[in-house]
Amino acid sequence: MWKHNIKLTLRNFQRNKTSFLINLIGLSTGLACALLIYLWVNDEMGMDKFHDRDNQLYQVMLNLDFKEGMKTSDRTPVPLAEALVKEIPEVETAISVNDFFNWRSDGGILSHNDQQVKVDGIHSSEDFFKVFTFPLIEGTKDNVLNNKNGIVISESLAINFFKTTENVVGKKLDWTHRGYEGTFQVAGVFQDPPKNSTIQFDVVFHLQLLKDNDQWAGNWTGNYAQTYLILNKNADVNQVNQKIDNFLAAKNENLTYHQLFIQQYSSKYLNNKFENGEIAGGRITYVRLFSLIALFILLIASVNFMNLSTARASLRMKEIGIKRTIGASRSNLMIRLLGESILLSFLALIIAVVIVLFFLPQFNDITGKQLNLSVNTYLISSFLIITFVTGFIAGIYPAFYLSGFKPSSVLKGKLNISFGEKWIRKGLVVFQFTLSLIFIVGLLVIDQQIKLTQTKNMGYDRDNIISFQWKEKLYDAWSGLSEVNNNDLFFTFLDELKKVQGVVHATNMKGNILTNVYGQGGVRWSDDESQESANVKSPIVGFDFMKTLGIELINGRTFSKEYQDDYSKLIINESAAKMMGFENPVGQKIRMNGNDEIIGVVKDFHYGSLYNNIEPLIFRFDPNSGHVLVKIQKGTELATIGKIDQLYQKFHQMHPFEFSFMDEDYQAIYESETRVADLSKYFSGLAILISCLGLFGLAMFTTERRKKEIGIRKVLGSSVFGIVRMLTSDFTKTVILAICISIPISYLIAQKWLENFAYNITLTWWLFFIPAILVLIIAWLTVGLQTVKAASVNPVQSLKDE
Amino acid sequence: MIIRTKSLNKVYRTDEVQTTALNDLSIEINQGEFVSIMGPSGCGKSTLMNILGMIDSPSSGEYFFMENEVGGLSERKRSDVRKNNLGFVFQSFNLIDELTVFENVELPMMYTKVPSAERKKRTEALLEEMNMMHRRNHFPQQLSGGQQQRVAVARAIVNNPKLILADEPTGNLDSANGDDVMKILADLNSKGTTIVMVTHSQYCAEFGNRIIRLLDGQVVTENVVRQFL
Repeated sequence: MWKHNIKLTLRNFQRNKTSFLINLIGLSTGLACALLIYLWVNDEMGMDKFHDRDNQLYQVMLNLDFKEGMKTSDRTPVPLAEALVKEIPEVETAISVNDFFNWRSDGGILSHNDQQVKVDGIHSSEDFFKVFTFPLIEGTKDNVLNNKNGIVISESLAINFFKTTENVVGKKLDWTHRGYEGTFQVAGVFQDPPKNSTIQFDVVFHLQLLKDNDQWAGNWTGNYAQTYLILNKNADVNQVNQKIDNFLAAKNENLTYHQLFIQQYSSKYLNNKFENGEIAGGRITYVRLFSLIALFILLIASVNFMNLSTARASLRMKEIGIKRTIGASRSNLMIRLLGESILLSFLALIIAVVIVLFFLPQFNDITGKQLNLSVNTYLISSFLIITFVTGFIAGIYPAFYLSGFKPSSVLKGKLNISFGEKWIRKGLVVFQFTLSLIFIVGLLVIDQQIKLTQTKNMGYDRDNIISFQWKEKLYDAWSGLSEVNNNDLFFTFLDELKKVQGVVHATNMKGNILTNVYGQGGVRWSDDESQESANVKSPIVGFDFMKTLGIELINGRTFSKEYQDDYSKLIINESAAKMMGFENPVGQKIRMNGNDEIIGVVKDFHYGSLYNNIEPLIFRFDPNSGHVLVKIQKGTELATIGKIDQLYQKFHQMHPFEFSFMDEDYQAIYESETRVADLSKYFSGLAILISCLGLFGLAMFTTERRKKEIGIRKVLGSSVFGIVRMLTSDFTKTVILAICISIPISYLIAQKWLENFAYNITLTWWLFFIPAILVLIIAWLTVGLQTVKAASVNPVQSLKDE
Repeated sequence: MIIRTKSLNKVYRTDEVQTTALNDLSIEINQGEFVSIMGPSGCGKSTLMNILGMIDSPSSGEYFFMENEVGGLSERKRSDVRKNNLGFVFQSFNLIDELTVFENVELPMMYTKVPSAERKKRTEALLEEMNMMHRRNHFPQQLSGGQQQRVAVARAIVNNPKLILADEPTGNLDSANGDDVMKILADLNSKGTTIVMVTHSQYCAEFGNRIIRLLDGQVVTENVVRQFL
């Protein structure tokens, strides 16, 4: 029977080439989209899942209960790991991991003889390789990190330095970094972290080195480390959370507003957004969004099959009638009809795989991934299941519908198309076009919002500004700046930098004004002790910061050498002035680090991204900060950067000059939106293409069926235009209905998405009108070509056929 | 007795019109008979054939097939009775266009689960008998009307049915081809297969042993052409 069914199906395809091709193209493009999205979703879902004890591997998260709201961070005190193992019975193992962030640069230089390699390093407690599964090629996980003079290096590094991973234990490597330097012995070699690992590192140092070189690192009050745990197999996460909630408050009286909770490590990649101290989505939103898009695209393609199969039912009547008469049961026929759509799906899969192979490089570009079609049983079975389900969904309604015909009436050639069936078919077309329209509106809204983020006046100028990191020694008040240590070299560099031809201004800061604005708690601005202190964003900047970024000073002055400004001088923004209730803020004393004085007020400007509102901001002053920002004269970028590079190299023997443009860094904040917008362009285009294919098929079939009617009408005097209008009006009504349905739905979705931004575009009428007109025109073109052709046929021909 | 109907009624209803196709119709047909049914268009011949063939059910009345009431059976059970006992021959041949001659003839045996080797044997034997073996791999549209009807007859008898229902089997054929088909049917009847045939042609009707004439869904006359033994 199978053979019979497959043979019959293939012959059917051959006989009805147009509808076969329409279905095949629709299903294969739909499947290709779905498979690409599947690869991406699968990759996202698989991040960090490879650790052997994934189910028991948790990360400790810290909630900071500020007056302005709860902030969640993954940085925790270094002593926490050890204390948790001792005091919480459910915790089997715990480690502290620090990624050198306190020295504002994880990158250091490892060298062997003359060979130097820039590497990313981390510090960790001894059980690192027991908690995480980064297999060791040399060394054992029990003791590879038990000596602070030993380091564990990656396979690539070992091969880079020694051309082999064998017998490298004991060999010496020199380490150069702003934090500390020294010679270390290789204690082990680990396999390079796989691509689906969030943590990427080349070398692991003993945690003790961090404590030795940063006097604050070992304290309970310094959040220097990420803490990872292995829980007992039967541990109850809720109970653990209860036990550790106020763990820090018990350790230090200053930490009363610090609360801890744990999150499964592998779930953190997708659930990385926190609101009010609780997980509130994150990348998972995009995973869900794209899964939904894949589903919808497949549905749109399936609808084509449903519509064409049921519309062309009359062509199948005879086969069905005869088979039923000679004894085929309804289920026999359903299997036969379902088999047809499933077989078609599998044919489409072959083409889809070719399409996927062809577009994968571009898709990787857009998504920033390295997806590939590596043949494995999991991937193959997933593809097969997706294909089977698609075929099943596409075929189930036609199978049900066609097999239900009464043999007595189909053999007479009578097929009563009920009102309901016509509506189902129309409903399916409406469904397709509604989805396509929602895609297009979504695309326009995302596009407009991204444009807004790019063009909105942020209150500062990010054009022609480059930033880079000073990587030589730099001391500050926390890391031993004293008479013994000084930053003279750095200041000389800054002075010379300002003299470089083409450099307009130069300044320096800690952190990053786009993505990493420092904050400080405990800020008070009145003598009233009962006033609650506030946590205020407070970037630490050097001289000329306002000038370099073009931030407008509206009152007072900026930091200046002339006045011998120090850490006690502050500049605030308008919002901060408002928050503090100062009419004349300049000269006011507030308490931040002691007794501090406001020396200036700047106009509010939009730091960070448009996701957030402008908050009160206090500029602190410290010239000893290593993040350098340079404003370059327009038109001289290339030459000036070349000169800065030369200057930088004079001061850095080991480190290459690595810089970025501030406007590009700014765009990178909206990376995920830009990616979504790029992807939406393709997917909405495809959705429209597939929908139109279906419409094309339906139009073709309808005109074919009404050939005689067209002939009679023409004989009776109808013009070509009159016939085209008659034939297209039905489709026009369908598309207009889809437009009416899609507008409120897309409005609500767009509105919801825009709520994510503190500053967003207004949803104007044309965002909905343009897609509507566009789709209508495309639909007219699709149907119109067919109908004009049909209407132009000499009626003698069409009537003679009868 | 293979067929016995008692007061069969069939009423078609559309939104506004009610049509009575069969009106209190009672007939009896014995095993081995060749009965011709005649009557003007719209007299209920085809409706009667559909009910006898169990592809339609009566609005009221009883239909006994081999002494079992089948008028009220579910579609699934009727389909079982049909595939094991009945063969159909249509005016418009009704061969499946996508299947070859061989595959069309073989088709009914697939639903009665005849093993593949046996199917092949029986199909080939029948095609040989119908003189269609040389056309076994042709598709229906490549055949003449007479050839198509011979294939259709072969398909109708391949499962050795007890009853063949032929609905104007010669209606679309020229007289020579029509004659051929009638001879095949008469031959089958002589070997014991019961045949019920609807026809407009008096000539064809007389191949049967009895002619039933219908008008407005009722039997008006029954003529015995020759005594059935």
